[in-house]
Amino acid sequence: MSGRHPLLTGIALVALAFLLGPILPVIGIALTAGDTIEFPPRGLSPRWFAEAVAHEPFLAALRTSVLLAAAGTALALLLGLPVALALTRSGARLRAGVGTLFTLPVIVPELVLGYALFQTLMVDLRVDAFGALLAGHTVLLLPYAVRVTGAALARADPSLEEAARGLGATGWTTFTRVTLPVARPGIVAAAVLSVVTSFNNVPLSLLLNGPGTTTLPVEMLHHVEFAFDPLVAAACTLLLALAVAVTLVTERLAGFTHVFGRQEATRWNR
Amino acid sequence: MWHTRTTRLLLAPGLAVLALAFLYPVAAALLAPSPDADGGLAGRLGALAADDHIWRATARTVRIAALTTGLCLLLGLPLGRLIARSPARRQALLLALALFPLLLSTVVRTYAWLVILGRTGLMSTVLTGLGLSDRPTQLLYTETAVVIGLTQLFTPLVVVTSYGAFSQVHPDLEAAARGLGASAGAAFRRIVLPLALPGILVGATLVFAGAVTAFTTPLLLGGARTPTLATLLYTYAGVSVDWRSAGAVALVMTGVVLAAAALAARASAKAVPS
Repeated sequence: MSGRHPLLTGIALVALAFLLGPILPVIGIALTAGDTIEFPPRGLSPRWFAEAVAHEPFLAALRTSVLLAAAGTALALLLGLPVALALTRSGARLRAGVGTLFTLPVIVPELVLGYALFQTLMVDLRVDAFGALLAGHTVLLLPYAVRVTGAALARADPSLEEAARGLGATGWTTFTRVTLPVARPGIVAAAVLSVVTSFNNVPLSLLLNGPGTTTLPVEMLHHVEFAFDPLVAAACTLLLALAVAVTLVTERLAGFTHVFGRQEATRWNR
Repeated sequence: MWHTRTTRLLLAPGLAVLALAFLYPVAAALLAPSPDADGGLAGRLGALAADDHIWRATARTVRIAALTTGLCLLLGLPLGRLIARSPARRQALLLALALFPLLLSTVVRTYAWLVILGRTGLMSTVLTGLGLSDRPTQLLYTETAVVIGLTQLFTPLVVVTSYGAFSQVHPDLEAAARGLGASAGAAFRRIVLPLALPGILVGATLVFAGAVTAFTTPLLLGGARTPTLATLLYTYAGVSVDWRSAGAVALVMTGVVLAAAALAARASAKAVPS
């Protein structure tokens, strides 16, 4: 291979170590038998794992986060797939105009959207915290649903649908038997991406909380703000294991880099 | 081409939700001239003019975001290029490793830096252990700590966009330049880089916008002494319930992000003479 520069290769490997390395000490802290975050850890013990999985605020927040990620993803797909369908089948002008409208939620800062929803939905309209969270997450995930399923639909051959219709299939049959299977990889990718985005989100969820309704990352954040103990390290290590599991499942389902390697999908984590 | 009626029916639910849960609330929070609790747009602009905190936080936020963008490019571009030029199997593995951190919440990834940079953390232990420092060092709660944390957070974005950009430059073009006598450096500078520039700019914009709006990292690693626009907005809206100032910060933050996106779009249009 021509022109491979040893210095650049060196920087590339340092970058990779810089990306992955810092997560490792967290596992060490999680396994400590002591009460504080310090190096080296004082003895080894699984006690903080036991405390983390029994910590009621984390469990309640986990329930909220799981419910929110599932409902938000379902809603975003339910609303976004028809939009993607309409945009791939319509003229360039509509596609440019309406398409841009559906990318706006990733451009406006999430913290600003959260603040706006807090004012309009929770204060003015007295919507409860979960309702506001669901509205916010649905809107945040909508761009992914539209663009990722849209990309799958755009790659499909429109003559497939015409052939089905020509052979006497109704519009609905054509949709369920032809269009939906064609869009399936895009739907799977959008779903995985949406669940991860929603589950990890902090800025949007931050202001939208009420009694008993806080998402897991926000709850963990508040715990870190006020207590410097290894409880969060244990929770982080469990989430790390979950991320590894998601990686492996995604690889089996749709190809990891296919789902997470898209440019339009890279705004998803802040 | 479909009937417009079907198109409208398909678009209607999505547009309705977008309007109710996004367009209206954001427009109301940023631009509404109505004399509500925060004094409307005039009140927000008044708070902006009067509040030195906001301007200092804006300058700090832009400084942090610019440094972060530079460092992310420095680390991410070589990695993106290395991945783009690796054989297919290794390419998939390297890309997966570089993207894996994106699956973790920012809370998890920022917490890791607390563990490393804290007073009794890994870094302090190593430095005192090596005799490089005679007392526990404290890097936490400085702008440097925020930049380190954000760089780790956002480098994957540069890797994935520049990997895509470098992959699209056909290797024959570079080989042709070399064959015509260009050095490896010149071939990269004059052929590869201009062709990959739009993709690189996309990555840089994502990082800059991400760093301007990042919340978790400046909160945990910067602390109260180094407020950024995001942590200031949280303080005004969530802690002191000062809506006039919160609205003002939201306005500035949105403005900075939109300005950066517009600048990048112009630079990108210049880079690709059509």
